[in-house]
Amino acid sequence: MSERSESAARPDRSPVLAMALAWAVPGLGHFYLGRRRTAAAFLVLVTATFLAGLSFQGRLYSIERGQPLTILATFAVYGAGLLNIAARALSESPVGTILAPTYEYGCTYLLTAGLMNLLLILDAHDIALGRKP
Amino acid sequence: MITLIPTDHFVIMTLYALVVSAFFALLWRQDRRARWRLFGALMASLVLGGLAVAWLMYPFPR
Repeated sequence: MSERSESAARPDRSPVLAMALAWAVPGLGHFYLGRRRTAAAFLVLVTATFLAGLSFQGRLYSIERGQPLTILATFAVYGAGLLNIAARALSESPVGTILAPTYEYGCTYLLTAGLMNLLLILDAHDIALGRKP
Repeated sequence: MITLIPTDHFVIMTLYALVVSAFFALLWRQDRRARWRLFGALMASLVLGGLAVAWLMYPFPR
């Protein structure tokens, strides 16, 4: 598929569905909108970042009483969609290992993966509405 | 969980710069040439900026 055909507008596609798919699996919203190569690249990038965060023993944040910043961190991590939910279900230690030397890096990678996917959701929305070429 | 990625701080920082640069190059640019240019600029900025901050903080180890 050429870059020109990838960037063709798809006005027949639902923005809400594109956003929901983009949240569930990184890149799936772009795939739904016909941008298959870009979607594959986003899938690899966001998933690799998230898995690296887990291997660095970072923390999958949850909201804690008296810690208002955990609200933002939780929102960011939940941006990773099903990756985050699967990791919470399968992980033996979703709070990470605070004594691990790579703990802070792991948290940063996990937050970044979620935030990148949130940007992909907004991007899918703009593409579906024809705001982005 | 088995750690497959090295724990060296510079390698972790460079990997981070790599994924973030690639992500924003794909997100913000449409044609291949512009994507490579932005990727190079972001990658260089993040790695060199990180090294510059590390150098500035060298006198303050704690």
